[in-house]
Amino acid sequence: MTTTGAAVTFHPRTSFYEDPGRYRGILSWILTSDHKRIGLLYFIFVIAFFFTGVVLGFFMRLEMIAPGGAIMKPQTYNSLFTLHGITMIFLVVIPAIPTVFGNFFLPIQIGARDVAFPRINLLSWWLYIFGAAIVALSVFTGQGPPDTGWTFYAPYSLRTTVNIPLAVFGVFILGMSSILTGINLVTTTHRLRAPGMTWKRLPLFVWAIYATSWVQILATPVIGITMVLIFLERFFGVGVFDPAKGGDPILYQHMFWIYSHPATYIMILPAMGIVSDVVPVFARKKIFGYMAIALSGMAIAAVGSLVWGHHMFVSGQSDFADLLFSLLTFLVAVPSAIKVFNWVATLHKGSIVLEPPLLFCLSFIFLFSIGGLTGLIQGALAPNMHLHDTYWIPAHFHYIIFGGMGFGLFAAFHYWFPKMFGRMYNRKTAKMAWVIMFVGFNVFYFSMLLLGWEGMPRRYYDYLPQFRPLHLTATFGSWILIAGLVVMFANLFHGLFKGEKAEDNPWEAATLEWQISSPPPTENFEKIPVIDHGPYDFKEFSKNG
Amino acid sequence: MILRSFQKMDEAKTIVLEESNTSAKLGMWLFILSELLLFGGMFILYSAYRYKNPVDFHHASRELEVLLGTFNTLILLTSSLSVAASISALQRGQSKLSMVLLMVTMALGLLFLFNKGFEWGAKIEHGIYPNSPALLARAKGEVLFFGLYYVMTGLHGLHVLVGICILCGMLILIAKDKLNPTRFVPLENAGLYWHLVDIIWIFLYPLFYLIT
Amino acid sequence: MEPEKKPHGTEYRTYTLVWMGLVVLTGLTFSVAGMELGGWTVLIALAIAGTKSGLVLNYFMHLRSERLLIFRVIIPLVMAVFLVFVLLTFADLAFRGGAR
Repeated sequence: MTTTGAAVTFHPRTSFYEDPGRYRGILSWILTSDHKRIGLLYFIFVIAFFFTGVVLGFFMRLEMIAPGGAIMKPQTYNSLFTLHGITMIFLVVIPAIPTVFGNFFLPIQIGARDVAFPRINLLSWWLYIFGAAIVALSVFTGQGPPDTGWTFYAPYSLRTTVNIPLAVFGVFILGMSSILTGINLVTTTHRLRAPGMTWKRLPLFVWAIYATSWVQILATPVIGITMVLIFLERFFGVGVFDPAKGGDPILYQHMFWIYSHPATYIMILPAMGIVSDVVPVFARKKIFGYMAIALSGMAIAAVGSLVWGHHMFVSGQSDFADLLFSLLTFLVAVPSAIKVFNWVATLHKGSIVLEPPLLFCLSFIFLFSIGGLTGLIQGALAPNMHLHDTYWIPAHFHYIIFGGMGFGLFAAFHYWFPKMFGRMYNRKTAKMAWVIMFVGFNVFYFSMLLLGWEGMPRRYYDYLPQFRPLHLTATFGSWILIAGLVVMFANLFHGLFKGEKAEDNPWEAATLEWQISSPPPTENFEKIPVIDHGPYDFKEFSKNG
Repeated sequence: MILRSFQKMDEAKTIVLEESNTSAKLGMWLFILSELLLFGGMFILYSAYRYKNPVDFHHASRELEVLLGTFNTLILLTSSLSVAASISALQRGQSKLSMVLLMVTMALGLLFLFNKGFEWGAKIEHGIYPNSPALLARAKGEVLFFGLYYVMTGLHGLHVLVGICILCGMLILIAKDKLNPTRFVPLENAGLYWHLVDIIWIFLYPLFYLIT
Repeated sequence: MEPEKKPHGTEYRTYTLVWMGLVVLTGLTFSVAGMELGGWTVLIALAIAGTKSGLVLNYFMHLRSERLLIFRVIIPLVMAVFLVFVLLTFADLAFRGGAR
């Protein structure tokens, strides 16, 4: 695609890479207050932790290729799935899009020079690194890594001799990082919009990050205090969740899921924001139902905070709570469905350009929908009795988190890569990687849906021989998926160093980040722009005028 | 014409200053929301366990020193007054008065912590602390009460301590004239944090000391 | 935030009045604690605590003089969130039958 129409001046000024600020060398990165550099700092580590999580998952699937012990002891398997969960959830999926792309692009998309609190932004990153280090420490010190599952359910988490205190302390620190990022991005969105950038002209990515940030601020403290309490119980025997002292383990689950369910919306909303931004660009058409998408994101954040009990249908909570939470769970499907309908409506009669970003968005819509529909099935009480703690559940959430958020993240990689790095990757290879990943993903996780339906329990090290064929298939699927990931990352990495120089606006998008140079200069804009049109106004770029 | 362009520059600077003031204040308020929910989580647990163990909570509560708790409440309320007044003083250019009021606030905070330490010390001497044999021998509801008491007042006390440190920092900044009538938002935000600590105690007090 | 364009001394006066109100309410909650009010006890205690907090929020923390919508929304918002968390948790706790 070549640049047409709108005057995109090719700025001869330095990009933010060439402008180190007050410090030199590595310090110009780790002591920066430039939101773009901070976004890239997060980028490096999010990817590193993602690879870690994939490796953990790889070994899990390798063990499960046959019944009985294959390559590890049961205790090791328990630790593997615990670490896989902690790594993926707290170090990758929750932070990824807000801290990488929210940091890098939200200020630019609203016409600002940086976030509201640049130095607190840096603090957020340092807390992220510190929290990750503590989690890593819990693996290699004391009696070994946690084995409770990432959910740290009491009373087992109070009794197990492994390194729970360090792990939960790490989660607490990571929570602080998340809260500060949320505070920063809400304040930025409220106070730093350029003249003319009204709420109704914001890119939907900004709306999505905004909704996400509210959940980060309001929900994260609850898991913060819960982790503190586990820590205190282990060291001081406080007794708040310990049944031997009158504590209620079900209350632990309430406190845990009050955050951890909204956390799933912290995970998915930003990815939905990416889809909302990318689809119009590659359909060459204004988004269908802008306000519906913007407000449905807020609705998901709100209603999504009312459904946590659906993780606890078989825990022993009251029947009344079961009914209430099931009903609320069905309600929260509505705003998500609205988004899916609107994306599809945007594509309808659009001028489709099948570039990698759009491919990943299309697969997002498909895989997220499967995830959502399976969610409805398990949200109904009767099926849940059979499906809870079977493979159905991880299959469901991998469809949502990996098929949804993961592919949305990859869409963002492929969409914003030229802007961030000033280079273009090989688009054919990217599409090939996508095909491999899509096939592998479905072979892997659909097998898990079937396994769960058949009754295979989750977090089990061993299984009955009748489950063998599907386990074998799932493991093969995981290998295909990983192969696809390898191709994708290798392609992006290659593009980083050897890719063609990218133009300022290779996708001919209308949002503000595409109207500045690739990569952007430190101050983002020569002059703060005055906005007079919406984010998906493609008139200037239309080849047909 | 020159005067007018100076005026315009002043206006522009005022707008930018206003802007960063409002941003700083909004950021502080959002942080306060997160703190409210941090304690809120504990209040959820408190309400659950009090609901399940009303009699035990009543018995346990009677062992707390009501007068000391009430005195501490009045101390914190007064410290909120002094910190609010110290901000007004600074805004009016009365830096010395502002500093004195800040020191009063800090002194009251320290007095609060001293009382708290005294209360805790007395309880611990009587063998009532988390996981103590004496406590574990009692009814489950009482074990929960004291568990929540120590954690919630402990966490609150930690916040008081942090608040005193923050106010100390503000004191130093005023002394160095870094905070003055044209730049006082850090002090306002420090005040907001202090008032938050006061509000949390406003709820802790009746819920722990006044259970009838 | 610009301080209210009040004549000198008015702010101090307001703060002192608020402080006196807080002290009175503390005395009130203290004396009410000695009375036999059954199920109303907690509600009254919370109502008084809520009023005290309202005074601190509005006058000491200046929420009353904030004009932007966001400042007026945040406290009701956090109260609503907390209330929802408590109510839904009690949907479990208050309705468990049998030996649970």
